Amino acid sequence: MAQEAHGALHDLLEVRGVTRRDFLKYCGSVAAMLGLSETMAPQIAAALEGAQKLLPALWINGGSCTGCTESIAQVDSPDVATIVLDYLSFEYFETIMATAGTQAEHNITKRVEEGGYIVIYEGSVMTGFEGRAQTAGTPDKTGLAILEEVASNALAVIAVGSCAVDGGWVKAHPNPAGATGVAAWLQKQNIKTPVVNLPTCPVNPEWIVAMVVQLLLVADRDVDKFVAATKWVTREYADEVTDASVSLLMPAGIYGQSIHDNCPRRGHFENGEFVDVLGSEQEAMGYCLYKVGCKGPQTFTQCPVTRWNRRVSWCVEAGSPCIGCGGLNWVDNNAPFLMRMSDMQLGGALGNVQPGTVGAVVGGVAAAALVAHGLGMKAAGRVGDGPPMETAKAYDRKRGAKKGGDK
Amino acid sequence: MSGHAHYREAHPLVFVITHYINLICMIMLAFSGFYIHFPFFNGFMGVARGMHFVAMYVIIINLTYRIIAAFFVKTATQLGSREVDTDIKNWLPQEENKHQLFETVKYYLFFRKEGVISAKYGSLQKIAYLATIPLTYLQAYTGFAIYGPTMNMGIFSGGLDMVGGPMNMRIIHYFMMWVFIVFTMIHAYLANIYNLNPSKIIFLWKETDH
Repeated sequence: MAQEAHGALHDLLEVRGVTRRDFLKYCGSVAAMLGLSETMAPQIAAALEGAQKLLPALWINGGSCTGCTESIAQVDSPDVATIVLDYLSFEYFETIMATAGTQAEHNITKRVEEGGYIVIYEGSVMTGFEGRAQTAGTPDKTGLAILEEVASNALAVIAVGSCAVDGGWVKAHPNPAGATGVAAWLQKQNIKTPVVNLPTCPVNPEWIVAMVVQLLLVADRDVDKFVAATKWVTREYADEVTDASVSLLMPAGIYGQSIHDNCPRRGHFENGEFVDVLGSEQEAMGYCLYKVGCKGPQTFTQCPVTRWNRRVSWCVEAGSPCIGCGGLNWVDNNAPFLMRMSDMQLGGALGNVQPGTVGAVVGGVAAAALVAHGLGMKAAGRVGDGPPMETAKAYDRKRGAKKGGDK
Repeated sequence: MSGHAHYREAHPLVFVITHYINLICMIMLAFSGFYIHFPFFNGFMGVARGMHFVAMYVIIINLTYRIIAAFFVKTATQLGSREVDTDIKNWLPQEENKHQLFETVKYYLFFRKEGVISAKYGSLQKIAYLATIPLTYLQAYTGFAIYGPTMNMGIFSGGLDMVGGPMNMRIIHYFMMWVFIVFTMIHAYLANIYNLNPSKIIFLWKETDH
């Protein structure tokens, strides 16, 4: 990518056989993600085409599976999103760059000195083992040191994927690597660079494009303007690893509504038509996946609208229940994925327990206790007219003689 | 304890009606709530949700009305008495309840034989009846916090952030339903353990002499 990103955007589009019509259509969908009218498509196109030079970017990998890189890089033919992402000049992109070693590290140091770049951070921030849960490059250079270096002088950090947002699946219980999110860690280091959070596992490349377009179009690369002009949802989050209380900024156009509310299977939910078994006829008929654990009602992303793999399909449409990867602390909050509710991690001999089991046990014990109590009441001869009543309170009987009773 | 008369003054008609509304709404809420939690048969989700919301609004209005009415309606001051006073006085702890909480516990655990002196309601009863008020409002709050149209309002989204998201709030909502179910079980049991006369007065408004 970095090697190909030269020349004006329209040349790139032309060379790759993307028509102007396709491009404008794509700009329209970007407008929708940004909460703008589709009539803004020409302006978006102009912003992308009119930018004089490429926006330098560093793609940094933290503790991750590289799935987010896969998500944007593994396309079998160049699509519009890929080409627009080429508009970023990636000067460091560990997984796909050709350079390596000292020269690659030099790219980072040089860019940080010059400034005027954005950081796209993929993966969790691993704080465990004094930061040595993740090291890269120079011996003993921790992932923490790299993040601190690149974030301190960046225009903005785009935290892509749930791992970068709050630690993602890497921080799932018991989190031995001390994984956490970029925003929490930067806040603890007192680094004020704004962090835009784009959760889901992996991130949807079109949402990165939407943020890049917003930075170019609305804000003209001015980050303060970018933050002020974008409509955000703020998720308050208490991070256990850093003890920081973080306000996570997420674009409202993408993370403002639940999957459930925009789901193509929603009609079947209201009708009470559910899939009981995965792979069944009901699933093929598009019935609702609620009973097989769909977390769509608790997950706030635009997946049903943007969809994935160049708008071909997405999890629920393909017949898989949503596993809630766009939420915070998403693994612990949603596992087991095929159950309606998450397990309660009680630990010890009890282990993981479903809330439904706890409820039924509490109800059952209460019912059994009442039956036993009722038998006791009968045995004590209280049933019928009740017990003989006391004539004075026990308290008064004890103290009454001395103090004159309960007055 | 229960060998006393049950007069209409204990439960005036207006409170017989509010009690009926509570009961019907609670049954509807628990049934539809269980269905929404896990649909155990098909074809009912839209109705279950509608039922859940309607019953919730009705029970909240009913509860609020019941609290206000307690300041105006007069009820019996003692068990088996026709002497009345403003209901709220009989609802809140009274002189007769003082020092009787642990004696009541001891009585129900069979550590004492004689029934304890109380006012119209015993100490445990008053704690339970008063606790259901904030619990009912709190249950409505947790419900609104996981309800699409209201969850983004500051008052609810703040609570969601506090408990760690809608999944946890859903679990809290679910557990609180069990609190109400257990309350209802104990309530029905204790009310009727001696004889069914309390049910005759609260449901049929039929007086009994002893």
